[in-house]
Amino acid sequence: MKRFIQHEELARDSRFVRQDNRQSTLLAALPDDVDKVVDAFEQFSDMIEASVKGTAAEPLFEAYGPAFALTVLNEPLDPDAPAGTTRLLLRMHGIFVGEVQALEGSARSLWDFPDAPWEFKMNMARQAWDEARHVQIFEKLLTHLGGEVGMFPESTFLFECACSKDPAMRVAGVNRGLEGLACDVFRDMIRYAEKTGDEKMRQAIDYVLADELTHVRFGSEWVYEFTKDDPEYLERTREYRRTVDKQFSFGGARSDREDAAIPIAWEDRLEAGFTEEELEDLASISSSGPSRKTLVEAARILRERHLAKRAPSKQPETTEAGR
Amino acid sequence: MSETRLYPGMSRDEKTSFAPYSAFDIPADLRELSGRYDVEAMARRCRNFRYAEEWLMMMLGGWVATIPELPVKTGLGKVIWETAQAADALGRRLPELRCGRVVVDASESANAGFAAFIQSVSEPERPDLTIEKLAGPFDVLMPHLVDVYEETMRETDQICDAPTIELLDDIVRKRRRHIRWGREVLDRLCETDALRERRRVRVEGLNAELVRSGGVTGTLSEERGVLN
Repeated sequence: MKRFIQHEELARDSRFVRQDNRQSTLLAALPDDVDKVVDAFEQFSDMIEASVKGTAAEPLFEAYGPAFALTVLNEPLDPDAPAGTTRLLLRMHGIFVGEVQALEGSARSLWDFPDAPWEFKMNMARQAWDEARHVQIFEKLLTHLGGEVGMFPESTFLFECACSKDPAMRVAGVNRGLEGLACDVFRDMIRYAEKTGDEKMRQAIDYVLADELTHVRFGSEWVYEFTKDDPEYLERTREYRRTVDKQFSFGGARSDREDAAIPIAWEDRLEAGFTEEELEDLASISSSGPSRKTLVEAARILRERHLAKRAPSKQPETTEAGR
Repeated sequence: MSETRLYPGMSRDEKTSFAPYSAFDIPADLRELSGRYDVEAMARRCRNFRYAEEWLMMMLGGWVATIPELPVKTGLGKVIWETAQAADALGRRLPELRCGRVVVDASESANAGFAAFIQSVSEPERPDLTIEKLAGPFDVLMPHLVDVYEETMRETDQICDAPTIELLDDIVRKRRRHIRWGREVLDRLCETDALRERRRVRVEGLNAELVRSGGVTGTLSEERGVLN
């Protein structure tokens, strides 16, 4: 078995649909400019349409056009909002496949770095079991909410962005970048579950969040251990993590902005070992994308153009997503 | 009149009146101070066992990403963690067996043959080879380890080497559960004669290599044929 695999090599059963990762990484590179956002999404429109064909995201595409992700990502989850259930399931499915990739990333570290210290292997082995349980938990929560595995396309960009061939950068990417994002998303999901009175979801995700804090701590400790006595290496690792954090901010959807759909979970991250300085840095990185006003305007233009292109033959019927 | 003595005095007649242990009607300790392995030999075995456990954990970790069946991916998570714990416990026993204080990560293959066998077990890579991946650990390596661990527990000194027995006992208990799970998965995956044949061929090939190597300790005779 070779060391290091590409994200395209992640094995899936026949239920899964793969999405081109460029869709996910696109947001991180967009400037605060309506026209440029519109151009970028129009360029990927055919690819986005092909990737959602036959999945539960197809009605969202029909209703909102190629920028449906902007609408979904940049609005906080609200059970009473249009297409609220579909958007909840889309996020839950995204978390589920994120957990699958976190399982693969942590387990793969055992094989990719055979000469790593024993304690590192113990931490990665423990994380692999935790992530395996998280996959099981989110599969059950998906079913609990009326969804199913494979109902939305899977982007493997989390694995692609986080799984470096360098051990310090691997833990910086997976344990601090990916697991840090998980802290933000899970705190938001707990708030949502409290709002809707879903005790099953609240309790399950509360346990998962506790595990994630431990994984971030693994990352914090191993980044310093791997880079000790080498400040230049530490700096490169920090820079790598900043790049991952930028990618995982989805153009500001996860940020410290007042209108962020997924706020940064400061308290949880501090408990997990992030410093105030690192969190200030994260807030700055994640908020530097297009403003919400820009994205909303771009989404409106893209939706209008999409519907005009569809009219009159493919005007969407009134679906939950389109209401 | 002398009082009942609670503690022995300095002369022969100043004994306590407590009856000796053997006077009570409770099972006697029939264990004998005898074992097949001395400290050095047991340390070597622990290093050999740890080598197998560490590589098993690493290869299972490597396969998680390239196995398409979701319940297999998630099921392996727990096996990986418990295998890591097994390797860790064996490593922690080494300093107790006079191997120095910093040898918790000292794994050692018994010989080049067993190291080559481990590489053969870890070879399958493609996502359509789940049967070949799982048959190696669950049909060949793990049953072999259980066999050798049990033999070791039986033959080592039951009193002097009790800590090794305790840790192996714990590993065996979990390992049997892993084998049951893995074989159940393999039985389900091998639903046609052709798939069952793939499993049989894989097991036969690996078993032959394992026998040639002398097993995890490198000391098992080829006359045993299949070591499991």
